Amino acid sequence: MFFTKPLFWIPLLLAAGAVAASSPLRLFHPPLQTGALSLLLSGTVALSIYLFAVMIQPEKF
Amino acid sequence: MTSLQQPFFPRMPRGRRDQRRYTERPKTQGLLGRAIVESFRKLDPRLTVRNPVMFVVWCGTIVTVAATLEPQLFGLSKDAPGRGFNAVLAAILVFTLLFANLAEALAEGRGKAQADALRRTQARTQARRLLPNGGEALVDSSSLRKGDQVLVSSGELIPADGEVTDGVAAVDESAITGESAPVLKEAGSDVASSVTGGTLVVSDQLTIRITADPGQGFIDRMIALVEGAERSRTPNEIALTVLLAVLTQVFLIAVATLPPVAAYIGGPTPVVILVALLVALIPTTIGGLLSAIGIAGMDRVAQFNVIATSGRAVEACGDINTLVLDKTGTITLGNRLAEEFLPVGGHTEAELATVSIGASGFDTTPEGKSIVRLAEKLGASSGFDPAGATGLDFSARTRMSGTDLADGTELRKGAVDAIKGFVRSRGGQVPDGLDQAYEQVSQLGGTPLAVCRGAEIFGVIYLKDIIKPGMRERFDQLRRMGIRSVMLTGDNPITASVIAREAGVDDFIAEATPEDKIAVIQAEQRLGKLVAMTGDGTNDAPALAQANVGVAMNSGTQAAKEAANMVDLDSDPTKLIDIVTIGKQLLITRGALTTFSIANDVAKYFAILPALFGGVGLGALNLMHLESPHSAILSAMVFNALIIPALVPLALRGVAFRPDSAEELLKRNLLVYGLGGLAVPFVGIKAIDLAITSLHLI
Repeated sequence: MFFTKPLFWIPLLLAAGAVAASSPLRLFHPPLQTGALSLLLSGTVALSIYLFAVMIQPEKF
Repeated sequence: MTSLQQPFFPRMPRGRRDQRRYTERPKTQGLLGRAIVESFRKLDPRLTVRNPVMFVVWCGTIVTVAATLEPQLFGLSKDAPGRGFNAVLAAILVFTLLFANLAEALAEGRGKAQADALRRTQARTQARRLLPNGGEALVDSSSLRKGDQVLVSSGELIPADGEVTDGVAAVDESAITGESAPVLKEAGSDVASSVTGGTLVVSDQLTIRITADPGQGFIDRMIALVEGAERSRTPNEIALTVLLAVLTQVFLIAVATLPPVAAYIGGPTPVVILVALLVALIPTTIGGLLSAIGIAGMDRVAQFNVIATSGRAVEACGDINTLVLDKTGTITLGNRLAEEFLPVGGHTEAELATVSIGASGFDTTPEGKSIVRLAEKLGASSGFDPAGATGLDFSARTRMSGTDLADGTELRKGAVDAIKGFVRSRGGQVPDGLDQAYEQVSQLGGTPLAVCRGAEIFGVIYLKDIIKPGMRERFDQLRRMGIRSVMLTGDNPITASVIAREAGVDDFIAEATPEDKIAVIQAEQRLGKLVAMTGDGTNDAPALAQANVGVAMNSGTQAAKEAANMVDLDSDPTKLIDIVTIGKQLLITRGALTTFSIANDVAKYFAILPALFGGVGLGALNLMHLESPHSAILSAMVFNALIIPALVPLALRGVAFRPDSAEELLKRNLLVYGLGGLAVPFVGIKAIDLAITSLHLI
């Protein structure tokens, strides 16, 4: 099932995170930069969660 | 003592690998080309995600590529680097990923070359399957199933793994072992009845019961293992992965929180520079080489003609505390030779020789043949008709062998205690001089064999044991590494203690039975120690399974090979000592490169931090006097990328190993790879900076 695969829900979560982060950033940056920075912020958080996952279950990676 | 100039592995099996006679030798031509292609394929994020450090570099590369396409993407700032700088940085990061992938692909490629060589030994052939009605049917070897009986004659390939149920034949196993001398295979023998598919019968005929279905044979399993299909991370690798993930996490948080701080103190923090800082801070060198080191460790074991069932087994070798070794064949040469006859009870040497030759009439072991030779040299002959006589094989239980003549006379030779018991059970007396002769031979480190005819003891045969050359030095080295050696022998305690003292082993178990092996291993393990042992018989299988590292001989039984976690294709029990050394070398290589990786990050801080914050008071950190912030960042990144392929040969070959204690090795590691890791990047980054500036690349 495609819906259960990480390739489906990781981009979805990243996009949702970016949308959430874009509100405060919009006050200081133009639209393109707001989108890029919010995606970068969301991606950094996702990367951090991934690293925590590696620490907790290293044998899965 | 072994000097440092001498190689630590004095006895590579069968000489140089490329000179061994394989049916198909591993083909390593074109390995680099295939590895380069594979390193591009490994850029797939689904593969990179398995390596946390390199996955962070991969994400950083994506960000840098995006910033190359649109330099103002992450902020409208005049301080943001231009498209050219971003493109160069992105290219360097891509090369960093490719170099890390190349290291892994090269290590995997060597394993695959060996798997291909093994695969070519699996020639499909026609087999003569025996039918229930006694007839034969010609079938393809791939259609054989477990339990089928096949007939294999001289000049035919054995179609699959099996056990000999009838016949005696010489089998050429060079396809697997590289050893061209054929080995004898016969039914009913614990060790010699096991045959491997793909080997060639070179004389006579065998009836074989197939013991493995297609795809489940010994070579199939070995192929899967050396190809890495079943490679799972070892505990040590997992622990190191966690450490690397923790370090990466710490630096990710540190870099992610820099922009607000930098904004407060007035320093610009372009995103691509933050990416460069993050990549410089995280331990990319060890992250890129970690899996290559593990794969190369298995490959080094394979170069010794030993197949490890997992990387875990190779790694466990590095932590071994106790080696349990059989005396015969491992510490001493397998063949003990009769040296002297010592008659007792008023008998003459000629009488003892005559009875000895009779007791050895059916003994085909080298020891038995040497007794016959020595007796014949003294002019003795058996004087009995072999047609009416029956031979009795030696067993660990009776500890004697002999001949029953047609007239009911019993000729026996064996352990002195066993012969004493035998004679007493026949109503005989033990002569006075027997114990004296026994002690005399034992104190020379020889094996005393008592000889009797019925209830009468004639004397003792002195079997001379020869300790293999260099054993004392090997055990000294093991002791310095903190490894305790225990010798197991069926000999009496006096002989065992003399051999143990001469060979330099730490402990011995005399008059050992097969059950003693497992008892010794369990006792050591209860003390929290890791134990390694070798074995070949079915009765060794439980001990091989119990040991942390069990090395089965390829000539051994299927049960032994399945219980062990390594199989020695050359069937050389001494190799266990080499394998332990390889395991140690694997762990030391991993430790050395981790030390180097973390140490060389320090110089990169001194390159990038002044470049980022030179304008706000951190310019003094520019110890290397790098030309400009941009050249400093690029120099650090180029060094970071180039150090990975530079260390690939070391990762694949392993660091130079000295048999020292763990403390000594740690000190040396910190000195060479810690200080070296600190110094080399300062020189390297400065040299790259000079090159970039002089070529006006910035």
